[in-house]
Amino acid sequence: MNLTEIPVAEATTADTAVAVAVRTFAETLADSAVFHHFEEANEQLRADSEAQAAMLAYQQKQQSLQALLMLNAVSPAERSELERLEEVFFNQPSVTALLAAQAELRAVCQTAAAILSERIELPFAAACGPGCAC
Amino acid sequence: MMNNNGTTPLPPKLATATANLAEALRAAPPLVTYRQAQADLEAEPAAQALLDRLLTNQNELRLKQMNGRVTQADVDALRALQNEVQENATIMAYVMAQQDALAYLPEVNQSISEWLGIDFAALAGR
Repeated sequence: MNLTEIPVAEATTADTAVAVAVRTFAETLADSAVFHHFEEANEQLRADSEAQAAMLAYQQKQQSLQALLMLNAVSPAERSELERLEEVFFNQPSVTALLAAQAELRAVCQTAAAILSERIELPFAAACGPGCAC
Repeated sequence: MMNNNGTTPLPPKLATATANLAEALRAAPPLVTYRQAQADLEAEPAAQALLDRLLTNQNELRLKQMNGRVTQADVDALRALQNEVQENATIMAYVMAQQDALAYLPEVNQSISEWLGIDFAALAGR
């Protein structure tokens, strides 16, 4: 059941309260400095052609070696090249900036989730599991 | 800067919004039912003990499976415990209530994430 689309006839006061609180929480988080910082860092990375090229080179190398990586059968030379490309990518200023912004946002979200978990006496993030949100 | 418990402090408005969401969730029917079922279970020591025995038995069986030492007697003992648990109304009410509460939370996360444009729980997971 999507909390934003509860049929009026079935909505209870508690459902409405949750829907309102969800919206307020999400809007407040989206309006926070830490979230704006993350969005800006994301945009900067998207606009950084050098970083995008480094990412593409790293991803293409990784994909070309995928089967060998799974078998742990990559040659030392290829592994060295993969690591070089990885280092080039992660050393891009826009990449380090995005990772830093993401870490700050993650920390805030973890605190919020911990508060929710404590009050509802259930592990909020863990209950949702990987990829539960569409 | 971290709080005393090592968490990142929330900006005031977000702290308020989080607290309000926590209270709204706490009052939501699936979570009210869960807490009541939990209280009912805690009020029945025999039921609590039965559930504890089942969980211990399951853990022991899991270890035995890893070592290839499971016997038919082990399997029969587990089945007997499972039957006893399934016939205990208090335990079953707790299990169902917990299941419903845990199924409710991803719906909440989906709503939050739709407003945000990113998966909140994935970001909040450790």
